[in-house]
Amino acid sequence: MSQNVNDDEERKLREFLRSSLPRVDAEPRRDLWPEMLRRMDVHEQRAVPWFDWALLGLAAACLAFVPRIIPMLLYHL
Amino acid sequence: MNTHRYVRAYMAGIVVPTLGLLVALSAFVTLRLILHFPVPIERAIAFPMAIVPNLWGAWNMLYVRLRQGRHWGIGLHGLLLPVLLLPMGFLLGRALGVLETTPHGVTYFGAVALDYAHWLTGVLIGMSMYYLMWKYVVNALNEILGIA
Repeated sequence: MSQNVNDDEERKLREFLRSSLPRVDAEPRRDLWPEMLRRMDVHEQRAVPWFDWALLGLAAACLAFVPRIIPMLLYHL
Repeated sequence: MNTHRYVRAYMAGIVVPTLGLLVALSAFVTLRLILHFPVPIERAIAFPMAIVPNLWGAWNMLYVRLRQGRHWGIGLHGLLLPVLLLPMGFLLGRALGVLETTPHGVTYFGAVALDYAHWLTGVLIGMSMYYLMWKYVVNALNEILGIA
């Protein structure tokens, strides 16, 4: 008898929870893969431009040829 | 993840100069305490070490604020920071007696003399380093923290 009451209460509780909580969708509402591809494309497009490489090379060359500039940079930067 | 944008901007901004402090402190300890380099570097090193990382953090907060609703390149933003730092360092150096100007150039710590052409070259190198640091390192940190 007691077992039947417990089962009944448990069933009611389960139904109550089901009706109260919003349904969880296992599938996303939209296809996420195109956005992922777009992000990957953006990441690939962000290659370092030649100008920045040239700037880095020029700065390194200047420091190599005139190392007296290094203490000045350490002081100011 | 739009909360605390400016706190995250500050945190992203201070990373590079804080790591740079390790290099600066290592150079200082090696030169002054181990090699006994006869130049009073400590007179000029403390204040920049305190203010530069905070200035980078504040500069990144300003960047996050400026780029709201408009295009503002982070490389250009970083390039402008030495425009602020250079006069501050110059005035501080003059006040502390570690920097002297002559008709021929600038002398640092009474030991490193640069004529104006080389000094200007140094300024341009410094600005280009700031441009690259901000464009690639600070921007990457901003992306990691979700504020790029």
